[in-house]
Amino acid sequence: MSAPVRPKPFLEPMYCKGCLRCIDACPRDCITPGTEINPATGLVPVRLHLENCNGCTLCIQACPEPYGLRLETEPPGFEGDFVLEDPAKLFGEKCVPIHSEGDLPDNHIALPACEAMVLKGNYAAAIGALLAGCRHFFGYPITPSTEGAELMAKILPRLNGSFVQAVSEVAAVNMMYGTGGAGLPCMTFTSSPGFSLMLEGISYMIGAEVPGVFVNIMRAGPGLGNIAPEQSDIKLACRGLGHGNTRAIVLAPSTPQEMLDLTREAFALAFRYRNPVVILGDGFLGQMTGKVRLPATMIRPGLPAWAVWGDRAHRHNLINSIALAETDLEAHNHHLNRKYAAISACEQRVDCYRCADAEVLVIACNTPARMAKGAVEAARAQGVKAGLFRPITLWPFPIDTLAEILPGVHRIVVVEAGPGQLEDELRLALSHAGIAPPPIDYVRRCGGFLPPQAEILAGILAPEEVPA
Amino acid sequence: MSASVLSAPPADAPRAPLTRKLLTADHPTWCPGCGDFAVLASFYRVLEKLNYPQENIVIFAGIGCSSRFPYFVNAHGGHFIHGRSLPLAAGVSLSRDDLHVFAFGGDGDGYSIGGNHLVHTARKNVRMTYIIMDNSVYGLTKKQTSPTSPLGFKTKTDPWGVYDHPINPMRTLINSGATFVARTHATQVNHMVEMMLRASQHDGFSVVEILSECVEFFEGAYNASVPRKGGSFQAIEEKKHDGTPEDAARHDPTDEGAAAHLALEPWPGRFGVYYENKTRATKNALEQDLIARTREKTKGASDLELLQKTFARMR
Repeated sequence: MSAPVRPKPFLEPMYCKGCLRCIDACPRDCITPGTEINPATGLVPVRLHLENCNGCTLCIQACPEPYGLRLETEPPGFEGDFVLEDPAKLFGEKCVPIHSEGDLPDNHIALPACEAMVLKGNYAAAIGALLAGCRHFFGYPITPSTEGAELMAKILPRLNGSFVQAVSEVAAVNMMYGTGGAGLPCMTFTSSPGFSLMLEGISYMIGAEVPGVFVNIMRAGPGLGNIAPEQSDIKLACRGLGHGNTRAIVLAPSTPQEMLDLTREAFALAFRYRNPVVILGDGFLGQMTGKVRLPATMIRPGLPAWAVWGDRAHRHNLINSIALAETDLEAHNHHLNRKYAAISACEQRVDCYRCADAEVLVIACNTPARMAKGAVEAARAQGVKAGLFRPITLWPFPIDTLAEILPGVHRIVVVEAGPGQLEDELRLALSHAGIAPPPIDYVRRCGGFLPPQAEILAGILAPEEVPA
Repeated sequence: MSASVLSAPPADAPRAPLTRKLLTADHPTWCPGCGDFAVLASFYRVLEKLNYPQENIVIFAGIGCSSRFPYFVNAHGGHFIHGRSLPLAAGVSLSRDDLHVFAFGGDGDGYSIGGNHLVHTARKNVRMTYIIMDNSVYGLTKKQTSPTSPLGFKTKTDPWGVYDHPINPMRTLINSGATFVARTHATQVNHMVEMMLRASQHDGFSVVEILSECVEFFEGAYNASVPRKGGSFQAIEEKKHDGTPEDAARHDPTDEGAAAHLALEPWPGRFGVYYENKTRATKNALEQDLIARTREKTKGASDLELLQKTFARMR
């Protein structure tokens, strides 16, 4: 009389994590650690030798999710793996307009000519976003950037838009991921400590190639710092956007007019490259009032083909930043690097003022560039050939234009309201381009002060140091 | 970590009792008429009554008008990241169990950006006292919506009136597992002192929510509970267990269900101790207990010996 045959386990190599718990559980030593990597999972599944197996199923009880070990014959009632069904079959067609395949282009609507307005920098940036078609705003109040959010709160409901005061900056950036992933323009206003909180989400957005515009009205740090202006996040925006291989175009306006123009432009860049764009303004710029002219057109945004829009035409789209297999992630990084190289080649922007014959080149951005301009004028009046080189993109740094100017330059003076982050960007750009620069001096204030024109002028006029 | 390892305090010489003069530090920067002045004055009185050694009082706060608090009390303290005062205070409470740890903050700091920290510090029952000065508006950034802003209130981020449902702080705190939950009003100084005093003496995570009006951006927010302004201040009558028939109607703060029910009363609600649990052990005590139990088996071996044993097993 033979013993009843009990079902034996079998291995699903795709699910086995190689945790080896089944080996400890097996009383008959039927399982040994694997030696070969499963190419599909990158893990090492165990090996079964079922000659001695009596079907005790202890190994199956020990096996954790997702259950690499299963019984040869499943118990009655088991219907096999769950199969995803087409939602259209289950629930019928969804009542949303079906977009055609491919990009729906932006619609440009002419704006009637009107008088120039006198606006705060924060308001100007918000208007720039509205004219670029941004109808989704997520943010959290933080001085000195809150006015931008407040204007959006007032206007967006009338424009069929959505304004959310999130529970924190962490929530705000992830709301942006959601809206950006759906292919819609969205933005936030924040200031330095809030930007720190957003970095995690920005890294995910860059990884998943989700567009979004971050207006960071910088204030003085580190830590709590204060609410006075400082160019304190240049390093963060250019070099430290969260973890991983992250880059984003960093725009540095210096007038309320540029706050509007560059914010409007930022949306085009964000969608052209499928990448977040950071606008760095200092606290003065956010609060400063100035004359602002509206552009000739406003934009009604289309819908990019890659958007996860939730209809049949976009059903094959996927937005995520996870790539568990090393080969996939390396390929994705190569793809990102090609994108960064294209940005570096095409998107360098700079404003040169009297640089053609400059011997002393002042480099400054944001509000300090305005004082630097005055100092350059004053230096010219005293017969010193000074020029102002004002990068508008901090990343990519406009090194190509700088390289053309540098041969005639005897000395560079970097002017900044911060502890040297702009100078670091300059030096890195020069170093990567293999350019040996003339001596680099600096005029710096921080903690909330701007370098005054007299100090900058003194920095321009300072006699060249003769090495001993 | 046992505090005695870190520093054995010297035998105390007799010292003068704490006074308001000793406790006063920087001059408050709040707007004239702010409810927070009354909270500060009451807190001085609480500290006078408790008479803790001045150097063992620690006060933390996040960001907000009310979070300026540590500057105004002459004790140890810190002004920290927006919403993160509770993790900081928990770190101090767990590493220096002998200190008297207070955290102060507002509704934005506590319920919005610090909401998750509030829930989990309460769940873990870390020994400290958290005082929330609720003004139902963001004052420091000049009038935005806060998590307790009532429906319909017009702010700069809700220009057509708030439509997100406000949270119910008492209900949230009871559900999160805070072991002392009380509510009081900045215009009721004696009540406020009593609540803060009881919270300070509670062994566990104790929270007092103080309705403290923002005269600049939300004037009259709490008039419904100010008798002088036509409202009524309804204090919670606590059970005295004296067997009288009127005692049956009184609130039993040890009854979590009754506390949660009380928290559902319509605005302006009741004031007093909603919930008090004296039996649940604090994280501080449980951690000390765990340390004692695990160290029992080590038979007094030194750290070096224990680590070497561990490393030997890892080879």
